[in-house]
Amino acid sequence: MSLLEVSDVSKTYGSGRGVVTALEDVTFSVETGSMLAILGPSGSGKTTLLSIVAGLLQPTSGRIVIDGQPIHLRSQREAALYRRDKIGIVFQDYHLIPYLSAVENLLLMPRLAGRATRAHREKALGLLEEFGIGERAKHAPWELSGGERQRVAIARALMNDPEIMLVDEPTANLDTERGTQVVAMLGEHVRGRDMTCLMVTHDVRMAEGADRVLRLVDGRVV
Amino acid sequence: MLALSEIVHSKLKFALIALAIGLVVALTMTLSAMSEGLVTGMTGAKGNLDADALVFQGDTYLNFERSLLTTEDVEQIRSAEGVAQAYGVGHVYISVDAPEESFDTHAFGLTDDFEQLPVVEGVGGMPQDGETIVDETVRSEGVEVGDTVTLTPIGRELTVIGFTESRRYVMAPVFYVNMNTYEDLRAASMFGVMAETSDAELPSATHVIDAVEGNVSVAAVKLDEGTTVEGLAAALEDDFDVVTPDEAALAGNGMPVMVLAVNGIQGVSFVIGALVIGVFFYITTLHKTGQIAAIKALGASNAFVYRQLLAQILLLVTAGALLGTGLALGAGASMPPAMAFDPRPDRWGVTLALVYLMAFVGSLFSLRSILKIDPATALDHAEH
Ligand SMILES: Nc1ncnc2c1ncn2[C@@H]1O[C@H](COP(=O)(O)OP(=O)(O)O)[C@@H](O)[C@H]1O
Ligand SMILES: [Mg+2]
Repeated sequence: MSLLEVSDVSKTYGSGRGVVTALEDVTFSVETGSMLAILGPSGSGKTTLLSIVAGLLQPTSGRIVIDGQPIHLRSQREAALYRRDKIGIVFQDYHLIPYLSAVENLLLMPRLAGRATRAHREKALGLLEEFGIGERAKHAPWELSGGERQRVAIARALMNDPEIMLVDEPTANLDTERGTQVVAMLGEHVRGRDMTCLMVTHDVRMAEGADRVLRLVDGRVV
Repeated sequence: MLALSEIVHSKLKFALIALAIGLVVALTMTLSAMSEGLVTGMTGAKGNLDADALVFQGDTYLNFERSLLTTEDVEQIRSAEGVAQAYGVGHVYISVDAPEESFDTHAFGLTDDFEQLPVVEGVGGMPQDGETIVDETVRSEGVEVGDTVTLTPIGRELTVIGFTESRRYVMAPVFYVNMNTYEDLRAASMFGVMAETSDAELPSATHVIDAVEGNVSVAAVKLDEGTTVEGLAAALEDDFDVVTPDEAALAGNGMPVMVLAVNGIQGVSFVIGALVIGVFFYITTLHKTGQIAAIKALGASNAFVYRQLLAQILLLVTAGALLGTGLALGAGASMPPAMAFDPRPDRWGVTLALVYLMAFVGSLFSLRSILKIDPATALDHAEH
């Protein structure tokens, strides 16, 4: 059963003579419990695609269907709720909140929807444990290594049980060995669950950790 | 909680912002207290009279120095509809030969109600003939409780039995005396020592003195429940001008112009302070654009982000307000009495309320930039 379907999505930036086509008729789907790697060189449209699925950008044409439901984000507010409840994002440079400890960065997610409870805290500690950084829970981002920071960012994205995980360039700030290790952990987490993962990378070795690979060149699937 | 964590994390930055707010609060409060001090210095003895209304002679433009009421006038006022109580207040210029330097000031004769004068040193109540209760700022002229001062050129002596406060008139400490002493001072002022020393002038002088006996400058009136100042004015018709002590305080001696200037000073300091506070929070918001974009990309609403900012503003403005109030009180305590520092809780309350209000208005600029931050930028700046 496919959870995420992207159909004929195109995106152009700018207008008139300055127009840039970042995506052109991109179509693919991802099964529940699997990880799809989107592989492409810099400028091929990976981040644009991720942003559209995240509800951060509107496609110029085409549609996104989750669980059979087409996504229509009419307002900023709807898009924010959609991201909060259905999407988990791992930014390339993590964007951990510098003044919050690792576990508090995770607790930010339930806080966006109201209060962080005791149960949330236990869940957060469990996720940090799962990604091997349980003993770093109370540390501030600047006290963590690059790899540890990335794992905090992944655990944070998983905190609200998203249907779709979006990971942007997971190796950009890490050496390959540590990168593949983190991707393997994430893959394991996704496989047991009712979620899909979309990972964007320009690194072939990284894509090997995914269940399927989609190649993107100049905004087209090849 | 996000708001508090950030403050704890960047203690120095937020301490400096709180300090800046504190200085702004201290500045506006100090200016407010000094302005207020200027106003009480000019008119405290007038505005603080224990009365609901002051009755002046008609067409004297609320001028203490010009108004004159006869014994019959005071009787008429006392028996007017709605008047519970009335006492006379007489004004006369005096010159005091003080240890430091001689100075010109005012003596007020009260027919009654000396209890209205707060005692800060010595004793209160009705003074005996030749005794006086004086505003405490007379200390700066070297006069102390227990001293006997000579009035020139009339050669009278007054013994200071107590000090009171906030009772200056046109910046000079008022000498309160009983009616006997007041009449003696006034007669002596009118005729100099002549009336006592020259037999030849005596008949006409005593004639005049008899004629003005019992006269006062104004009548201070306490009204019955339900009677208004306007009601009394109507009952007394056109022979008198009737106003509240506060209104009287703000009339004459150039007060209307001074009040305008003082309000202008306070207004300008306030507007600049408000802008400074607003700009501070605006800068901290601009500084965090990337972080705010990320939080919004994670699914935070604009309201969530703005709430965090408001919580921060509330905390910092409260810290700044406490600090500023402390600084202003400290500044006031270290000023000499002559510098006229008169902190009024109601004025300071208004200042504080306005500081909160302006911080809120300032936060709206930040809100505008929060609304404008595009969460999509959290993803795409990575590659540059
Ligand atoms: N905001 C934008 N305005 C104009 N052009 C853009 C914008 N964002 C991306 N592009 C262009 O779209 C193309 C795809 O960019 P992007 O999705 O960032 O690719 P990738 O993530 O694969 O490097 C590039 O040619 C890029 O210059
Ligand atoms: Mg990219």
